[in-house]
Amino acid sequence: MAAMELKAEVTGSVWKIVTQPGQVLAAGDTVMILESMKMEIPVIAEDGGTLVEIRVAEGNPVAEGQVLAVVKE
Amino acid sequence: MNQRDTLAPNAAAEPWQAELDELARRRACAQGLGGPEAVEKHHKQGRLTVRERIDGVVDDGSFQEVGRLTGHGRYEHGRVVSVTPAPYVMGLAQIDGRPVAIGGEDFTVRGGTSWSGDRKKGGQGGFVEDLAHQYRIPLVNLIDGAGGSVTSIQRRGHSVFPGVHGFERSVQLLGEVPVVCAVMGTAAGGPAGRAILSHWSVMVKDTSHVFAAGPPVVERSLGQKITKEELGGPELAVTTAGTIDNVAVSEQQCFGLIRRYLSYMPQNVWELPPMGDRSDPIDRCDDALRTIVPENRRKPYDMRKVIRSIADADSVFEIQPSFGKALITCLARMNGTVVGFIANNPMIYGGAMDVKAARKQTHFMELCDCFHIPIVFLVDVPGFMVGKEAEAAATLREGMRAVYVGLQVTVPIFTVVVRKCYGMAGMGTTDKNGLDFKIAWPSAEWGSLPIEGGVAAAFRREIEAAPDSKLREAQIEAELRSAASPFRTAEAFGVEEIIDPRETRPILCRFIEASRARLATSVGPKPKYGVRP
Repeated sequence: MAAMELKAEVTGSVWKIVTQPGQVLAAGDTVMILESMKMEIPVIAEDGGTLVEIRVAEGNPVAEGQVLAVVKE
Repeated sequence: MNQRDTLAPNAAAEPWQAELDELARRRACAQGLGGPEAVEKHHKQGRLTVRERIDGVVDDGSFQEVGRLTGHGRYEHGRVVSVTPAPYVMGLAQIDGRPVAIGGEDFTVRGGTSWSGDRKKGGQGGFVEDLAHQYRIPLVNLIDGAGGSVTSIQRRGHSVFPGVHGFERSVQLLGEVPVVCAVMGTAAGGPAGRAILSHWSVMVKDTSHVFAAGPPVVERSLGQKITKEELGGPELAVTTAGTIDNVAVSEQQCFGLIRRYLSYMPQNVWELPPMGDRSDPIDRCDDALRTIVPENRRKPYDMRKVIRSIADADSVFEIQPSFGKALITCLARMNGTVVGFIANNPMIYGGAMDVKAARKQTHFMELCDCFHIPIVFLVDVPGFMVGKEAEAAATLREGMRAVYVGLQVTVPIFTVVVRKCYGMAGMGTTDKNGLDFKIAWPSAEWGSLPIEGGVAAAFRREIEAAPDSKLREAQIEAELRSAASPFRTAEAFGVEEIIDPRETRPILCRFIEASRARLATSVGPKPKYGVRP
């Protein structure tokens, strides 16, 4: 099982987490939404898989490149 | 010794047979590169030889080598026994039926280090660059060498001054013909520098690295222990630094990318890029464009989808896809004519222009201008990136450099305002010295700064004096926003046209087609003025 790390493309904060660990994701599903520069930036699972871990909580600040969640194929 | 062991056989019956036999054997030496063991070692590292690479890039059977006999001959009793080839292979070839000059270091011979014959073959200057310059054909460099070696001091008896084999021709070529540099192995020093002097560069994941100096030098100079991959793999060189433009997952894919890139390029600056396929109807209106921009201004959308739906089907080739992601730059076609798309990416910092995006835009505009490629801006930019980090990174200077270069561009620029167009970054998306033709979607908004950012400052006293200051601020914002409707600017002809987003392709195709005469009558080298800020 290949693990894929979902990373923040922007510095900002976690606005809303719309998934839960264990959930099965299809490619293109939104995992959470970040807020940056007054915009709601979706964090998208590029490939499908099982969401095994969410490493941030709503309201947390995030840095560009930070791992937000882990998906396993 | 037995004379059959030499490359020069006994005199044969036919006239010149001995010499032709010697030629054939010398050619076989060249074909053998650094010898079977060196080639096997190279292959085991997941790398192709320079000859396999050239064959992989060019049209089948089109490579006409030049300098095949160069090298270092070993002689016994006056007869040549073997020739170690010069560590550089080059010549004339074709890509999609068009001639190119192509060359690369042979890593299997002394690690592709420099070689001193009567005339240089390539690498920095040399015959292959002269060929591109004299015949006005593109240059493809397949770089796999570590440049100079200190052993040359021993060989020459003196140390050479930097630039003895300089970059004069390499620099000249950048204003004349398309130059592609592919980093195929570890490039440090001169070859790494050579890779940068290109219009487009590419490297290969896992097997190529590029840096000014490799890990041993870094450790000696700074005491930093770092791997080759960390110091010069694509994660750093392509995504973080933008030193190299694109990355390929394999050498094979890299060859395809080189061919693809050149398919958008003219042979030289005295010609226009080749016309492509014109089968995608110009009046194709994609319904998805009508609703792609969310009405909620806080929600971003996929700008790459916008580009793909406007451009000719399957014609989009993204340059620097992983660097400076707040901006998207693509070569593409509109009814067959090559165009350059520059689009803000609302997914990354709302499309705000940071240092990397500015650098990317500057380079891409110069590329398009040099090769007479009209530019289409898809604008959604709230302005320059703000904040202490952005200021410390010199966003203002790099951003204004993009504006400066934009004002020197002489190819037609078409501005499509998709959503936000603010400030100096917004100004930099228009053709102020040309037709200054701006079309807007109904979702467009513009100004010197976004309303929500400016209200608190501009109406501070009024807001503070109000019984409910939050409410007053919101009221002022609403009033200004209604006056900022794009339709009001269109009434004043401050924007030339507001369109249904679905009409974007037909309108752009018509104007781009009409601009071809202008493009055709202004070919040639572009002069450079002044000093970039």
